[in-house]
This record gives sequence, structure tokens and C-alpha cells, in this order.
Amino acid sequence: MNPRDEVSDPPLPLTPAMFQVLLSLADGDKHGYAILKEVAEQARGEVALSAGTLYGIIKRLLAEGMIEECRPRPAREHDDARRRYYRLTDWGRQVAVAEAERMEELIAVARVKRLLKKLKPA
Amino acid sequence: MNLKDQSLSSRIFRLLLRIFPSDFREDFGNEMEEVFREQRAETEHAAGKIGLLRLWGETIVGMLRTGPREHLAMLRQDVNYAFRMMRKNPGFTIIAILALALGIGANTAIYSVIHGILLKPLPYPEGDRLVVIRQQALAAGLQDVTFSVPEIADYRARNHTHSGLVEYHTMIFTLLGRGEAQRVRTGVVSAGFFDFFGVQPILGRTFRPSDEEPGAPPVLVLSYEYWKRSQGGDPDIVGKTFEMNDMVHSVVGVLPPVPQYPNDNDVYMPTSACPFRSSAQTKTNRDTRLMRVFGRLKPGVTLEQSKADLKTIALQLQKEYPKSYPSGSGYGAVSIPLQKELTHQARPTLLVLLGAAGFVLLIACANVANLILARMARRERELMIRSTLGANMSRLLRQLVTESAVLGVLAGALGLLFASGSLKLLVEFASRLTPRAREIHIDGPVLLFTLVAALATSIIFGSVSSVCAGEDLSTGLKEGSNQTTIGKGRKRARNVLIVSQVAFSVMLLIGAGLMIRSLIKLQQVDPGFVAQRVLTMRLHLNWSKYNTAQQSREFAQRLLQKLQNQPGVMSAAISSSFPLDPESRIVGPNTSRFQIEGRPTQDGKLDPQTNVRSTSPDYFRTLGIRMLKGRTFSEGDKEQTVQVAVINNSLARHQWKDEDPIGKRVSFDEGKTWIIVVGIAGDVKEFGLDKEAGDELYVPLDQYVAVGSLELRTSGNPLSVATQARRAVREIDPETAISNVETLEQARSDTLNSPRVMTNLLGLFAVLALAIAASGIGGILALSVNQRVHEIGIRMAMGAKTYDVLRMVVGQGMMLVLLGVALGLGGAVVLTRLLGAFLFEVTPTDPVTFLGAALVLLLASLAACYFPARRATRIDPLEALRYE
Repeated sequence: MNPRDEVSDPPLPLTPAMFQVLLSLADGDKHGYAILKEVAEQARGEVALSAGTLYGIIKRLLAEGMIEECRPRPAREHDDARRRYYRLTDWGRQVAVAEAERMEELIAVARVKRLLKKLKPA
Repeated sequence: MNLKDQSLSSRIFRLLLRIFPSDFREDFGNEMEEVFREQRAETEHAAGKIGLLRLWGETIVGMLRTGPREHLAMLRQDVNYAFRMMRKNPGFTIIAILALALGIGANTAIYSVIHGILLKPLPYPEGDRLVVIRQQALAAGLQDVTFSVPEIADYRARNHTHSGLVEYHTMIFTLLGRGEAQRVRTGVVSAGFFDFFGVQPILGRTFRPSDEEPGAPPVLVLSYEYWKRSQGGDPDIVGKTFEMNDMVHSVVGVLPPVPQYPNDNDVYMPTSACPFRSSAQTKTNRDTRLMRVFGRLKPGVTLEQSKADLKTIALQLQKEYPKSYPSGSGYGAVSIPLQKELTHQARPTLLVLLGAAGFVLLIACANVANLILARMARRERELMIRSTLGANMSRLLRQLVTESAVLGVLAGALGLLFASGSLKLLVEFASRLTPRAREIHIDGPVLLFTLVAALATSIIFGSVSSVCAGEDLSTGLKEGSNQTTIGKGRKRARNVLIVSQVAFSVMLLIGAGLMIRSLIKLQQVDPGFVAQRVLTMRLHLNWSKYNTAQQSREFAQRLLQKLQNQPGVMSAAISSSFPLDPESRIVGPNTSRFQIEGRPTQDGKLDPQTNVRSTSPDYFRTLGIRMLKGRTFSEGDKEQTVQVAVINNSLARHQWKDEDPIGKRVSFDEGKTWIIVVGIAGDVKEFGLDKEAGDELYVPLDQYVAVGSLELRTSGNPLSVATQARRAVREIDPETAISNVETLEQARSDTLNSPRVMTNLLGLFAVLALAIAASGIGGILALSVNQRVHEIGIRMAMGAKTYDVLRMVVGQGMMLVLLGVALGLGGAVVLTRLLGAFLFEVTPTDPVTFLGAALVLLLASLAACYFPARRATRIDPLEALRYE
């Protein structure tokens, strides 16, 4: 059971690092090093995650019920016994979506105020 | 099995992992190491050594940021949990916090006094270099001889080790022109006195050298307390005038609140303003000793050097003035650190009280540890569940210690409240022991002490209970048992805790018991006078107006005549002072040396000395002093008749042994005038109920006028004649100040204030200890009965009688109590020796007290055991068997 099932309001805003970790798990389960690598690529150095800080975030996300440890583990040929894999929970997905929407709204405001150029029609 | 990477990098990383809490490490440590290893490999490949260095830097910074945060998060979680647990067990929480708060409060209170008096430096710049200088004549039994003006001049000129010597003496002046004449205690000091101490006035200025010159306008500096008390803290006081005796003095400044030693003075004046100090006779006579002397050690000079310097000067003076310093007198001069002088009386008392308060805290700790252990039995299931859910042992122990710390901090806060509530009383108590009492505050260091006491306390009881719980929990887990059984370790710990509580309580009870016995003995001391129904007061004639003895004589005669006829007054007397009079207890005996007719003074020997007191004829009757032989004074003993004296039994014994002193003659002026002994009076405790009566010689007031106090024996309540007595004094001379109006019983009772407060405090500590220990024993037995319901039920079903059950339960508790009592008695034999100096006619190993204390404790414990035992006897065997 997701401990957050009964809570309706996601705890926003998330810290950039937390959001990045959730984002990295949005398209599939990953182990710690994979998360670290993806965050490094996505954030292009803007969010500095290291082995020292990643697991503090993982611990919080686990405690908040936004991610969980994967059981069963991935197919054997992809598995590494020393690694733990993490998965975005439904609640985690809702939070990530809410955070993305919050950012989107902010960006919309920025566009109205002409801080950003209007989106060109696709 | 995961073999650990033994490369240096991995070892360093593992070391760094120690920044994190242990369970964080257990959860993620291996993974973090693995991630870092992969990162390292890839970085080295892509970015070389520089990249690797940057990776290390980022990782270390990250760990340093996250580690403490994790600790804090866990602490927050534990504290929240602790509060939840405390709310769930309000009974336990209240008892534990109260017991600890009492212990911490008692310690904080006593420590605040110790810090203010013994530990803080004196409130003077470089106060550790200030010394009191004393002349002594040790062979003559004189520890503290005051100085004459020529002596001060000699020591000032000849010493090499002090950067300054200042003088001081105290006088009573009469303040006039402000309603009733008031007594003003006045310190008469060198002009540089306050600069010497480094005291800056809070208003105006202190004295200048010009204030001390002959003919300088009289000036006053007010003490802070007098300014506040009598002048309402008037901010415009500087420049106002005080009419004192025959002079008008103007106020030039107000002192800050500093300790006043040796007397609490109302005001200060320079030496030139004191007619006695500035008289030609005082200035030139080496043997007119009035003054006390303070010195300041020069930088780098040790106390030993100062003492050696003073000793040399004393030897020189002895050679130059053999008549003033007889060779057999053991004359010398010493310096004593002012700090020591101000606090030496308080030190032993305070240390004993701190020890006692420490015992109370230890007992409270033991009691709370026991409560926690008892509660642990009930929490065992919870802890085991949490443990099987993955909480590791150190995490659980950390949780338990946090709970203890929260209890400790809450108790510390409450204890601080208790301490600040009792501070006023403590300051009053301490003011009897030291002039530094006003420096007692609850300030930073005291708060720190409380915090440390609270945390140390929680560590003590928390770790005792956690260690025992941990021991049991791990065995419980290993055995896979889910039954709540009392583990061996915990049971043993509980027994030890009970025994130690009892032992400490017995020691405290004995300490308090000894003090109580001593106080009772002091109260029963026959002082040699009858204190009931006597009113006393100090009279302060405006001595500037009373130039001749005849004037004082007339004042005394008129006052006595007036009072003797007043309703309610049975007899009246005037004397220079009276027994246990607070003023003369400050100043000490008025001793003089005398010669006995037919016994010439031997070379190098000092004449005998005695306290001398002038009294009107009815003094003995008024105070109820027994006459052993001969007669008292009569109206016939006049100025011009033969000079007579009454001596006390002690003087008679010391000087005449088996001879009859009556009819013998003594002289105070080397035979110029002779005084005949006409009577022997019983000994009177003049200077303290615990002190031996000294030698005493009474002379008739008419022959040696010294009006110092009035004594009235009344038919009813003595205080009811106080108003008429005051009126009578005013009618005869409105410029006579009256002070210390009280009954002789009050004066007598006041002398016991200090032992009384100490007894009360020790008694309070002992009662606290007893209550905490007894409740502890009762609580543990009740729990044990609860846990043995099943067993007791079986016993009863098998035919055990009520009495058997009662005996079993009470026996279980009392075994521990007996052991504790035995240990306590042993400990007391060693520790009560420290009380020796406080005890009056009671030995530190007084068997009555030891037995009494043991008995009190046994009875209290028996009562504590009885209630759980009675509950055990009411167990219904059928119910009990079903219970399981």
C-alpha cells in the first residue's frame, strides 16, 4: 500500500535533485549508478548529485513512498546482485506530474510576462 | 558473499561513510560504495586524474552535507517518538520528570550558590592579589589583632611586596534631622580605599586624597544597599547632606553592589572625618588598635613572599618596641587572600550540601532507570517487533537514549524553575556565611551546569536501562522467543538499583539525623540566662554630645527610673552589651588585660585578659543570670565609692583556682586603681550557644559608663513594651538612635539560624531521597507481583496461606532493603566524618542516629512493600490460572 494513498496534496515544490531523481525513474526502473548518470546528463551539471548525496534523497523518497525498491528484479541477464533497483510508485508519478505541471504554469506566466518567447505552433 | 574491495580508495570511502548514522550505513553503505567505484572507473577513463580529483571533492562535500542532515532527521524522528511514548504513559512521565527535576533542581540551586561564592573571581580588578593583613599574638591566643595608626604607617613604609595598604574600621554614627534618630553603620577608610579595590561608583565619585586632609569638608559615600533601602535609590542623592552626630556631611557618591567586608556598612567616610581616628591620642599611641588593613600584592609577588616580608617587619617592630610586643606573645603579621577570607566560612557547608544534593540526584537517577526497566518489560514486544521489522540494535538503543535525554532535558527545565524559586532563601542563608551572597545568580555557568547535569543524568539512567534492555533483547531475539520475560541482566540491574537507592538514602538520613540531633542539643544548651520574657535593644547615644561620663550616667539613670515604673516592666537594666547580642557577635569580645594584686607581671609574659562588661545593678536579675557567691551591684556602687566587680565562674576558676576570689583586687591600669571582686556569677554563653563561655568581668555602669543596650524583663509579651521603651528613650534624648529591637529569645534563636537552615536543607534532601526510594521499591514490587500473578495463583491453589504470600512478597523486597541499609550504614561511617565540624555534642557515628535512620528507612520500605504484597494476597487463584 502506498502510504500516501490518502493524502491528496503532493508535497510541492520538490527540491531540484528530488525532481531529477523522479524524472530519471519515469521511464523505467534503475539502480543508483544509472540514476546518477542520467541526472548528470539531464541536468547538464546544474544539479550536482554524488554518491554522497544521492542516497539521502533516495532515503527520503523511499520514506515518502514516492519510489520503492523493485521486487522482482529485472531479467537475470541485466541484473547485478550488488545493486538495488528503484521504481517510481503511482504516488511518485503523481508528485512528479504535479511538479512538472507546476513548472509549466510558472513558465506560462513567464511567457505572458514576456520573460520567455511564445511557443511556436508545431 | 560480497567480498569487500580492499583498494585504498574504497577503504577511504568506507571511512567517510562513518559520517552517516549506522542504520543509514547499513541500508545504503554497500550500494554507495559500489556506485562510487563505478563512478571512479568511468571518470578515470574519461577525465583522468584531474576528473578523479574533482569526483572525490564533490563526493566528500556531498557526504559532509548529507551525513549531519541524516543524523538530525533521525534525532527529530526519535524526539517525536519519545514525546509520543511519554504522552502514552503520563504516569511514568510525571513521576520520572518530577523525581529528576527535584534532583537537578537541588543541585542547580546549591551550585548557583557555590558558583557565586566560591568559584567566581572577586568582583574587583585582579581581586586574586588582594589580601587581608593581620597582626597576631599566637602565644596569647590572638589570631586577629587590629592595627594602630603608627603600626599602619610602619607596615606601609617598610614593606616591599605590596603595592598599597589601606585601612578600615567601622563606627556607629547617629543620623539626625530625619524624623527619629537613626543608627548609621559607617566604614571609616583611607582616601584611596575604593581606588585600591578598583571600585567605580555608580553615582558621583569616591574619596580623593584631599578629602582626608585635616579640615577638609566632611563627605560620605553611600553603600548600594543603604542607598536603595533608606534613600529609595534617589538618583539625585549626590550633593545632599547628612547630619551625623555633630557634623553635616555631604554625599559625594554611591557604591555599586560589591561585597562589604568585614562589615556591611551603610555609609563610608574618610579617616579625617572620624573624631576617634583623627584624635592626637589615636594617631600617636602604638597600642590604640582600631583598624583593619588590606593589601594588594605587587605583580609577580607570591603570598609566601608577602608573608615573609610582613614577618620581617614584625620582628623589627618587636625589637624596637618591646613594650608593645612582649617577647613571649608570639607576635607576628600575616597576609591572607581576601577571596579565602570572604568564603572560608561558607566553603565546608556548601560542599556538604552539594554532596547531599548529588546523592538525591543519584537516587532519582536510579529510580528513573528502574522505572524505565520496568516499563521495558511492557515495551519488549514493541521493541522486538520493531527489531524484526528491520530496526537494528544500535538504532533501538539510540531511540531509548533519546527518550532518556528528552526526559532529562524536560526535568532540567523544571529543576531550573525549582532552583530559581528557592534562590531567594538560599541567598539569605548564604548571607550568614559570606558577604558574597549578593553575587549568587542563575547565570550562564549555572545554566550550563544544569544542562550538563540534565544530560549526564539522562546518560546515566538511560545507558543503565538501555544496556540491560539491550542485553535481554538480544538474547530474546536469538532465542526467537516472543514471550515477555524478565531477563536476568535486567533483574540484576533492578536489584542493584534498589540497593543503591536504599544505601544512599540511609546515608542522607543519617546526615540529616545527626544535624537534627545537634540542633536539638544546641537548643537545649543552658545559656546561663533566662531568655523568656526579655526585651532587648541597642542604644546609640550621639557620642559627640556626650562629652563626659556624667552625661551618659545621667541618661542611664533617668531612663532606668522611667522604665522601672512602667506597667508590664518587672525589671530594667542598661549595659554595654548583652549575651548573644548580634552587634557584639560581629565585633567580638571587648577584652582587656588586667593585673591581679600580689601577682606581678612576669617578664615576657602577657597579663591575663577578660571580656569586660558594664552593667546597671539589675542586669543579673533582668537576664536571670545566677549569682554563685557574693553580691551583685547595688545602688550604692557609685562613681566615687570603692570600685567593685563581679566575675564569672570561668574567670574565677582560671585565675584563682581553689582560692576564694571574693575580696581580691584587680587593676586595668597597672595598679593605679584597684577593683575589688565582690561576687561570682554563673557562666553565660555570650558569643554563641556552641562556644564555651569565656572569662568575664562585670563592672557597675556608674563606675565605668558604657551605654550600649537596654534590657527589660516583662510580665507579659516583651514586644508589647517596645513602644513605651522607645518613647521613654526619645523623651530623655531624641538624638539617641535605637536599633535591633527584639526579644532575647529571638536573639538566641537567630544564633541558630545557620545550623537550622543547614539542618532543614539536609532534612529536605533526606526526605526527598526517602520518598523517591520508597516509591521505587513499592513500584518495582507491584510490577513483580503483576508478573507473578500466575505463580502466586498456583501457590494459593496449592494451599499457600495469605500470610505465606505476604511474607514471600515483603521478604523479596526487604531482602534488598536490608542489604541497602547495611551498605548505607557502612558508607555513613566513612562519610559522616565530613560533618564533624558542624556537629555539637554529637559524634559523627552517633549510634542513636544510625539506628534511627535505619529504622525509619526500614519502616518506610515495609510500608512500600506492604501495599503490593496485600494485592498479591487478594489474587483469586481461579482468576489467576485463567489469566494465563
